[in-house]
Amino acid sequence: MSDGRGRALAERLGRLRHRLRESIARTGRIARWEVRRSAGTVDRKTVIALAVMLLAVGTAGFSAADDGLGLEREIYVVGVDEESRYYDVAADSDQFRPVPLADVIAEHDGDDIVVHGDATVDIVVTRDGRIGRVGENGAAAYDEFRTAIETYNANLMADEEDHAAAYPVSVTLEYRDRDDPRSAASGADGGDETGEKTGAVDGSSGTGDGESAADDAGGDEPFQVPAIGGGGSGSSTGTPGSIAPPFPFTSLVLAFLFVVPMNFVVQAYGSTIMDERVKRRGELLLVSPASRSEIVAGKTLPYLLGLVGVVVAIALAIEGGPVAVAAALPIALLFLAAAFVGAMFARSFKELTFVTVTISVALTSYTFVPAIFTDVTSIALISPLTLIVMDLQNEPVRLGEYLFSTGPFYLSAAVCFLLGLGVYREEDMFAQKPIPAKVLDAIANRVRGSWSIPLLSILFLPFVFASQLLSVALLFAVPQSVAVPLVVLAAALVEEIAKSIHVYAGVTRSRFDATLRTAAVVGALSGSGFFVGEKLTHVVQFVGLPELAVGTAAFGPAVSSEPLILGAVFLAPLALHVGTAVCSAVGASRGRAGYALGLLTAVLVHVVYNLGVFVLVA
Amino acid sequence: MSRDRDPERTRDSSRRGPNPPTRPDDEGESGSTWGARWAIARRELRSLRSEKTILLALAIQLFIAAFSSFLVVGLVSLYDPGSIDGDRTEIAVTGTDTDTILAVANEQAGVTARRYDDLERAHEAFDRRNVSAVVEANRTDDGRLSARVTAPEGDLQTSVLVVQLRETLTEVERIERQRNADAGRLERTPLPLPSSIQASPYVGFTYTILLPLLCFLPVFISGSIAVDSLIEERQRGTLELLRVAPLSLADVIDAKLQALAVLAPLQALVWLLLLAGNGTTIAAPIALVALVAALSLLVVTAGIGIALWAPDRRQAQLLYATATVGALVAATVLPEHPANTVAKLAIGNPTATTWGLLVGYCLLAVGAFAALRWAIGRLDPDSL
Repeated sequence: MSDGRGRALAERLGRLRHRLRESIARTGRIARWEVRRSAGTVDRKTVIALAVMLLAVGTAGFSAADDGLGLEREIYVVGVDEESRYYDVAADSDQFRPVPLADVIAEHDGDDIVVHGDATVDIVVTRDGRIGRVGENGAAAYDEFRTAIETYNANLMADEEDHAAAYPVSVTLEYRDRDDPRSAASGADGGDETGEKTGAVDGSSGTGDGESAADDAGGDEPFQVPAIGGGGSGSSTGTPGSIAPPFPFTSLVLAFLFVVPMNFVVQAYGSTIMDERVKRRGELLLVSPASRSEIVAGKTLPYLLGLVGVVVAIALAIEGGPVAVAAALPIALLFLAAAFVGAMFARSFKELTFVTVTISVALTSYTFVPAIFTDVTSIALISPLTLIVMDLQNEPVRLGEYLFSTGPFYLSAAVCFLLGLGVYREEDMFAQKPIPAKVLDAIANRVRGSWSIPLLSILFLPFVFASQLLSVALLFAVPQSVAVPLVVLAAALVEEIAKSIHVYAGVTRSRFDATLRTAAVVGALSGSGFFVGEKLTHVVQFVGLPELAVGTAAFGPAVSSEPLILGAVFLAPLALHVGTAVCSAVGASRGRAGYALGLLTAVLVHVVYNLGVFVLVA
Repeated sequence: MSRDRDPERTRDSSRRGPNPPTRPDDEGESGSTWGARWAIARRELRSLRSEKTILLALAIQLFIAAFSSFLVVGLVSLYDPGSIDGDRTEIAVTGTDTDTILAVANEQAGVTARRYDDLERAHEAFDRRNVSAVVEANRTDDGRLSARVTAPEGDLQTSVLVVQLRETLTEVERIERQRNADAGRLERTPLPLPSSIQASPYVGFTYTILLPLLCFLPVFISGSIAVDSLIEERQRGTLELLRVAPLSLADVIDAKLQALAVLAPLQALVWLLLLAGNGTTIAAPIALVALVAALSLLVVTAGIGIALWAPDRRQAQLLYATATVGALVAATVLPEHPANTVAKLAIGNPTATTWGLLVGYCLLAVGAFAALRWAIGRLDPDSL
């Protein structure tokens, strides 16, 4: 290599470094402005008002912490005399309001209970000790009263001297993996409890040594009052009432803590982006030497760093590990990215509020619902929150699992920022258009020539993937006969939209001619791009999702090993995607109604194909 | 700006009214005031309609309601043994004292218990998946029954299985306890439990969570729109334009407030009709709508007050959200939480306190509204 070329290269590198440093400096300056301006607008009276409110709420909350919100207080009325032995049950229970029997019952003989005309009562305890139901809610009230009697009995027993007589049954619950016999597996909760349980199993394997069970609960200490439900994290030994299904209740609530602050931060973040668009304020920054990506990066950075700080603080407080932080990060990124796009599209603060609330609700449920099934099925892994729950339960998280559950989040966030950046310019920012038109604008901005079409098809895949996973997760508890058709329909609809929306945007914004030939070419490109991208989603097979029938419905069956079938399985989807994409593209070139018609046809073809495959395999 | 005010001035000067004009609602003008107010309220509602925000708001509420119902129904059916009818659970029972468990378990719906003499064989059957669980029951020295349960790890059936076993063993505990009580070992006898019946597990949820949620969400959203609407008019400078209307600032804000405050009870009415259509009886629908209307007026008034007072949207929304959420928490010091009031009115068991609180909310709302009007009257419009 000659000296001159080397020097030129070094010079270019130096210039690049210089430019990079300048870009970072500009981004940093905008970030500093953002922080200073936000801190500046929080004036003293707001702080004082907030402090007063928090103080009042804290005092009220603290004083009411013992008896909860009291949502169910006295919602049922029970007619019972004070002499009745059930009177104390009604008086002790929160849900019941006792009224004297004479006030509600006119007469009763045998099984007939006649209530006073104007009396409202749900159940009555007659003088001979029978419990009768009145009215529509009588059955529900009766059921609750039964539970109240059980609670009352449990409290009664807690006061007894003779514990052995009061708690005559002790239960030890242990879980065992059937595929790996003789291994005493971990129980409902990981952590130190596992050790204790395993020890108990080893200590008394096979022999009927009952005392070890009692010893586990802490020698001769009285048993706890059975906490039915909610006690998922209780010890494995106790009264029959205290055993509970494996449900990571505590970890789930703690994991939810990570999502709560994100909902607040995106409100402020959306406001600051929207502020730029009110009264053309953003114009000042746009004419500055900073590029739009630097502006957006600078405005986003403080909020991202703030969220990272909050996440780390929460992780430290609830003793989560680095995995918890790493899993919370993509959630935070997607929250910010979605809020950014929302703020770029909204026409007014009102609209922005609804857009951010929609984002909050959708993302919170998308992360929260699957995490409920953490211990039950691998579907739970579609949410990064599951990783946090696993981390809090001291379960190891593999790299593949991390990529599977966070990948769609990272990619979706990137695509959102990309789309939003495209409209971060003078002619789009200050134009008032309905949100759908803005979405089309943003997409059309990224359509440059026919080769961008397959690329966009691939870029939309994270959304397709995420929405299909969500439909699987939502319909997973529903009976299969209902769930499978619904999932097939949802999958087809989402895929067809992802394959055609950018074609439609391109046609309506005059990026393509509305001719049949262009439509066919563009449609074919879009379909094959989608096909290539979809092969990536076969990652799902690594986590065994196709074992579930609903999973197969959404993602297609597992690939067979025979070459002929393999070929068919490989090529059939290509034909399908190209065919349906051309169909909707031709529709798109004929305007809005045409697009709707083309899309409908494409979805129908897709559904029929998917059902056919599903029937063929299953 | 001055050009905008010109027509108003000429009109006013012909009457030699005060300058700047005061509220022209004294004589004969009230008809046109109402017209102008109605125009502003219409403008407010039209902006909601054109932005489709009201549809989005309804969709969000529906989604939240559906989501919470999904969670409850899903979890109940996940842990409800009745949900897997026809699928009988086989349990192996071994140990020295199995009679009670066998008898109780076989009486329970969906469970078949079989006695295995040998623990090893029971575990083999468990590993071969012939039985779902193994219960090893032994009598200890102090007379307790010790049950050691082995359940399969980590699948969906386990939850149902554990619930079934819990029911069985609780019943066994009850029988054993009664036996101890008969033998005089207990000071107080536990109360006999009435026979169980088939009751919908969702009644409590519907009245105490779903219904309050559907009543309060529209209120919260209306207040939020009020904050946004006013802050936006201030920041875009359109509030100044509105002041050329033949209305005082108080009237302009009034019209906005009323338009938004009416939305919440209307939405609540729709939800109540929807619930009634689904077979949930609402005992006092009029009282409920009145309650929502009172709360809506109160919250929208508070939102307007915050929007007038706070410097920008971020702080206004922060204050508004903190205030409403805080108020819901602080309401626990009341004799009845507002959600509890809703539940009692809907289920048909209101007490004197419930009615008292309803009247209290109405008075509070009207009082807050009057206070806001008074404050706006003293407010210098140019300071906004």
